This record gives sequence, structure tokens and C-alpha cells, in this order.
Amino acid sequence: MSGPCLTRRDFLQQTGAAGLFTVLPVFRQEPVVRPPGATRDFLARCIRCGKCMEACPFDSIRFLGVSAGALVHTPYIDPLKTPCYLCQKRGPDGKDKPLSKFLRCGEACPTGALVKIVNDKEVLGKVPEQYKMGTSVLNRKICLAWQYDSCGECYYNCLLKDKALRDRPPGEFLESGTGVKPYVDPDYCIGCGMCNYVCPVRKHIAEVLMRRDRKLTLFEERYAAMVRNLIGRAGDNVKMPAIRVIRRP
Amino acid sequence: MASKTSHARKKRIRPLRRIVQLLVLAVLIAVPYYSQNPADWSPSRIVQGQMPQPTTAMVTGDTWSFGIGDFRLMNPVAFVEGWVSAKVIFLPALVAVLIPLGMTIVLGRVFCSWMCPVGLLLELNTKCHAFLKKRGLSREIAIPDFRYLILAIALILGFVLAFPVISVFDPPHVLGRELMYLFTHHEVSVMGVSFLLGIVLFELFFVSRAWCSSFCPSGGGLSLLGMKRWWRIKMSPEQCIHCRECDAVCPYGLEPMGLADQQNFNWTKCENCGLCRDACPTGAIAYSFEPRQQQFHDRAKGGN
Repeated sequence: MSGPCLTRRDFLQQTGAAGLFTVLPVFRQEPVVRPPGATRDFLARCIRCGKCMEACPFDSIRFLGVSAGALVHTPYIDPLKTPCYLCQKRGPDGKDKPLSKFLRCGEACPTGALVKIVNDKEVLGKVPEQYKMGTSVLNRKICLAWQYDSCGECYYNCLLKDKALRDRPPGEFLESGTGVKPYVDPDYCIGCGMCNYVCPVRKHIAEVLMRRDRKLTLFEERYAAMVRNLIGRAGDNVKMPAIRVIRRP
Repeated sequence: MASKTSHARKKRIRPLRRIVQLLVLAVLIAVPYYSQNPADWSPSRIVQGQMPQPTTAMVTGDTWSFGIGDFRLMNPVAFVEGWVSAKVIFLPALVAVLIPLGMTIVLGRVFCSWMCPVGLLLELNTKCHAFLKKRGLSREIAIPDFRYLILAIALILGFVLAFPVISVFDPPHVLGRELMYLFTHHEVSVMGVSFLLGIVLFELFFVSRAWCSSFCPSGGGLSLLGMKRWWRIKMSPEQCIHCRECDAVCPYGLEPMGLADQQNFNWTKCENCGLCRDACPTGAIAYSFEPRQQQFHDRAKGGN
């Protein structure tokens, strides 16, 4: 498996001049998405105080468990459970307003392990590469929009819509009248994981049709049949959902 | 009995200390309680254009690192540890550590006796320990002071491996963190809870206050910082009737009565809890607050 892992090189850079000792088995490497603004020496600076978790207005930040070895109690974001909402508050008009001047986790961090990032969508789209949470990567083979021309939830719900996610890939010819064909612009994507969260291509959605114990939600009703069909075609060892956040080295 | 007279004579310090301890515990519970986000969310609600209601609490943190907005406090040991492992000083952290550091240097290791929530827990645990001991269910074994050794090892490990070690297992922070987990994500970590439970059970059946007196690295760090403190207990030898009431209540068995006879006293371990002061029937023990206590205490300190 390549990509989402925290590679050894990445880890060495993050821990500073740790050298030999990082090959010890206690440093089990976890494929994790860090909160926004994680510096290169994040692991050395983070004193595991938990303030970012408390400051997070949406409880998106979780902490690694004991199985993470030396990385225990360091913050991470699991976009499948709760994505990063980039400290935005949605008004009744559907427009997002920044909750605070800076992203709250970076603001709360006492040691500078997370840097302060100005909470402005213009700025958020252009934060330096190293402070991004990651980048979304789209697998067109299992994407409902690309395969069945019938989705586009990631595009509609992207917090940096039309910048990080576009409805047409630039430079590719598409017939007029086709629906949304999502395309991730890696320059703008900060890796908040909202697309990851709303992507319907997930195993439990495919299995929801078999359940009779509760009423299906609108979301499940709309996509369950298609997703089951698609996953059946794609095979077992495919990574879901179709659009995933990957931490860059 | 004898303690009745002390009631009449001077105010006891323990109720005040209990109030401070309980306040800290209340803050520790209230902060994560008010920062949690109760609603559970599903992608279906997001795609319908809804967003969860944000909860923006101004107060964050626990005894390891605390903040109200931009006003921050930081445990001096956490600061030193972060400094050693990251090898850089973060300026806001340096500002945040000033108040706790000053408090420790002037007042001594008062964090342990006045604020530490685990200290409160273990203090109450001594009563259970005494109860079991009376029935012969627990026993006392002598443990040397490992605190400085553990502190040194943890700091060296932190320096070499470049990650803070004490932050992972400092008990008051473990308690604070478990409360954060509990309220924020409705789960607790098995390691943290079993660690705290292990300390409590060990002190219940073996040595009471063993963690604080022999193992706690952050307490050891605060002890070192508060070595030259201004606020100390002071014994007036002419009033002492050698009743040993103070020796009996000292949680670390420091024998403050020896001060009356100019014997050695482990000043670094004393945390100004004031139990000996409260217990003294004649009021021979009092707090003193002087920058330099050359004449009396240094003679008493001896080869400390």
C-alpha cells in the first residue's frame, strides 16, 4: 500500500534529529491526517495537551490510541467520522462565515505544533503545502459521477467549492449536458475531508438495502442501489470511498 | 481532644485547600463538558445543506496546559519537556509558563497539594488505606525517591527520541485527558484509566501516597523548581511539646517535629499542604513567608 502512510522519511523529518531510534517498534507508523497547520516537527512539539480537541467547534479532532506507539495521544482527523469544517458557520442563507479569526486548533495550540492559519477561504485555499492536512484523491473507477453521471455530492459540499473541487476537469473534453464530473485541484485542496465524508460510495451504504429495521435516509435512498451495483462491479479490494484524503509526504 | 484547641486558636488551612482542589476538579470537568458537541451528524444532513452547530468555548485545557482565550498557563514541567524535545522555545509558551513558574519558585510545590486533582483523589484514598491497614489488609513497604531519576530519564528520552514522554503519563493530565475524551467523543482510553486505577489500587493496598512521594516526575520537577521557595512551614521550638501529631499526619512521613530539634528536613519534598500546621495542638507550626530564611531553616536543613 502506498500513499496514505506516514512514511519513514516523513516521520524522521517530523521528529527532527531522532535518527536511529525511530526504527524501534514503539514508533508504529499510523496513516493519519493531522489537524491543519501541523508543522514538520509536529511530533516533537506536541505535548499531548488535548486543547485542540477541546477548541475544535465540531469535535472533529480525535486522539490516537496506544497502538500508535510513540505517537500516542497525538491529534488526528478521521474524515469518515467527522471531517474538518474549517471553522465555518453556515448561515440561514447557505453562506459560510468564519467562526474565528484563526482556525481554532492552531489558535489553541500552546507549543506551536499547529500553526495559526487565518480563517479566510481565500487564504485557506493557498496555505503552504506543509501545513495542509492532505489532499483529496479521486478514484474515477468507483466514482458515481464518473461512472453513472449521477452524483457530484463532493463538488456541491466542498468547503472550497470551485477552487479545490471543480465540476469539470480542465483540459478534458466532455460532451455538453453531462453532469458534474468532479476534479480535485491539488493546489487548492487543504484536505479537510468533507468530500470524503459525503461520498456515498461506502460499504455500509451498499448494505443498507438489506436492512429492514429502520427507514432509509434520503441520502441512502438516493444512492444505495447504485453504490451496490458499482461496488459489485469494482471488486472487493478497492479502497472506499471514491474520494479520499491522503496525507502528503 | 487536643485538636479542639487549635480550632479555637487559629483557622485551619485544610478547608481552604479542599475548596481550591475541588474548584480545579470542577474546572477540569466543566471545560470539556461545555466544549462538547452533542449532535450526531450524518452525511445525509450535510448534503441537505445543513451544518452542525459549532460550540466555541473560550476555556480549554487542563492542568498540563490551560487557556482562556489568549491568556494561557502552562505547567513548567510541560514547558521544559516541550523545549527539550522540540529544541526550540515557542514564545507564547514562554509567556504562558511565567505565572506557574513564579508561583512554584515562590510558593514551592503547591501545585501538588493545592491543585492536582489526582493528588486530591490520592489524599482521599489515604483514608481507605488507613481503614484497610487497621484490618491488616494492606501493608507498608519503603520505597526510595525515584522522582528525579524518572524525570531525568524521561527528559533524556524526550531529547533523544524527540517526543515528550511525561506528557503521556503525567497522572493529572491523564485524568484531564480522559475527561476530555469522555465528554468530547464519549469514550475513554483503556491505558489511561487502568494507569490511574493502578496507582489508586497500589496506594490502597501498599504504600499510601507512593506516587506523589516516590514516582511522580512532574512533581519532582516542581520540587526542584521550588527548592528555594519563600513560603515554608516554620516551627517555634519553645512551643513544641513533642507530641508527634505532625509526624503522624504528614502524608510523606517527613517528620516536621524534627525541626524543633534542628534535625534534617526534606524541604524539596514538602508541598506546603499544611496538614502538620492544622494538627499541631499548640500552634508551634506556622507558615512563614520570607525571601531568605538563612538563620533558622538553613541550619535546620543541614545536608539536604
